[in-house]
Amino acid sequence: MSAAFAVTVFAVAYVFIATEWVGRVKVALVGAGVMIAAGLLDADQVFFEPETGVDWNVIFLLLGMMIVVGVLKQTGVFEYMAIWAAKRARGDPYRVLVLLCLITAVASAALDNVTTVLLIAPVTLLVCDRIGVAPVPFLIAEALASNIGGAATLIGDPPNIIIASRAGLGFNDFLVNLGPIVIVLLVVFVLVSRLLFRSAFVADPERVDEVMRLNEREAIADSRLLLRSGVVLALIMAGFVTQSLTGLEPALVALLGAGLLVLISGLESSAYLEEIEWETLLFFAGLFVMVGALVATGVVEELAVRLAELVAGNLLLAVVVLLFASAILSAIVDNIPYVATMAPVVAAVMASDPELQGQTVLWWALALGADLGGNATAIGASANVVVTGIAKRSGHPISFWEFTKYGLVIATITVTLCVPYLYLRYL
Amino acid sequence: MQAAELAEQYPLVDIDADALEATRILARGRLPGLVVTERGRPYAVLAGSQVVKFLVPDYVQADPSLARVIDEPAADRIAARLRGRTVREMMPSKPTKLPSVDRDDTTLEIAALMAREHTPVVAVVRDKRHNLEILGVVTAARLLEQVCHVE
Repeated sequence: MSAAFAVTVFAVAYVFIATEWVGRVKVALVGAGVMIAAGLLDADQVFFEPETGVDWNVIFLLLGMMIVVGVLKQTGVFEYMAIWAAKRARGDPYRVLVLLCLITAVASAALDNVTTVLLIAPVTLLVCDRIGVAPVPFLIAEALASNIGGAATLIGDPPNIIIASRAGLGFNDFLVNLGPIVIVLLVVFVLVSRLLFRSAFVADPERVDEVMRLNEREAIADSRLLLRSGVVLALIMAGFVTQSLTGLEPALVALLGAGLLVLISGLESSAYLEEIEWETLLFFAGLFVMVGALVATGVVEELAVRLAELVAGNLLLAVVVLLFASAILSAIVDNIPYVATMAPVVAAVMASDPELQGQTVLWWALALGADLGGNATAIGASANVVVTGIAKRSGHPISFWEFTKYGLVIATITVTLCVPYLYLRYL
Repeated sequence: MQAAELAEQYPLVDIDADALEATRILARGRLPGLVVTERGRPYAVLAGSQVVKFLVPDYVQADPSLARVIDEPAADRIAARLRGRTVREMMPSKPTKLPSVDRDDTTLEIAALMAREHTPVVAVVRDKRHNLEILGVVTAARLLEQVCHVE
């Protein structure tokens, strides 16, 4: 009875989140509240058990990185890199697109993809304005590159953070297992972009000077802050990479790094606090409690047993189904609630089958499917939503279908390429 | 003193007028804002600061640090954004409605309205209820000149 109730509440909440009829934070918190009020979870389960309640590792990792990004944003380093890249490309539109996409992908892997596109998009509009090309293909390409790049690391995309916490995987696990395929996918993406966006690569050669006259050095607002931020970011990355030696969880590394950066930056607290997306953090908390109710009532275990029976003895089938199902569902609904729901299911599937224990391939299939599937539509990933919003405000609206006609091609190619990678490496 | 006595002739621009020409009127007269009309009726106040905001590219508004990277000659050409645009396009998404007073309203009534609506101009109309026929405009400067007896 309690399981049926939990499923009903969860399904209704999911419909509201997917359709955006009501703000997603409100839905997640109300859903969590209903689960708690119905007695499905107690305080211990909500606050102190990550399987059935709030996963503080995820919340604090996000919080720490948001503060780091808040400080880093003040330095102007993103603007510097983007303008430098445009000048290195000597105003050639394709080269500009490639370099901007590579910067976006790398920054998305090191920080997070939403912040990266928020910072890169305005510079892109400036560069496109200078060289006299339509900015829409560039903006779409950057959103796609950010989702591909973000898939490479634990901190690059929120679904990866959830998977890392649920699966007990570290920063290096993601880098070693997803990094190689992401590099391949980026190369393919850059090559395909030449064809996909070919109509955008017609610029006025006489306007190249306009780009060359931009002064990227002026973008650096505070070189001392940039130096300090660079050092702290390097320390944070070192902390992530050496997790197996130090035993420090990524969330603690991010919080320590954020604290150090705040301490030495000399910035007013408002400067970095305004970068914290409290709504996102609350959304995650509500979501964890809702999913926790499904775990506590045995729904997840039941679902996992059924799934394990379906793919029994055929790991390849399980991987392919999980990869493509994740990609399709992430294209339709936000990949964060999807992964928050599926991560405990995958964990239970692995726990129910002795042959699957110790195998990480299902986690990589889930991560790749969810991260790359988000590229398929304009609403599939947060970065896509952010980019279309910026484009609209700047007078270059991107319709849902315009984004999707490019995104779907890239999502299909990249997700399909993951199949041989996962097969050859893990099966 | 009554509103009708304070009212001055003030340039009115139609909402579909050319943006560049309207901006020139604003600049030449060193006006605090434009009184915008639609089909001859008072429609809204377009503050000078809003016109300046329109000149700033959206990407610079989103990331103000980009203003520094643009060279001086390019920065001086920002008025080019007005070419082919209309006053309607310069209006903010929520335009400031042009507040109006009756011809016999007092200086305090006008001042109270300006303070409440945060506007430097108020229209004096013949029939406030139906917002018909602008007799003139009272600017904040004109009002202050009167109440402070500035020569």
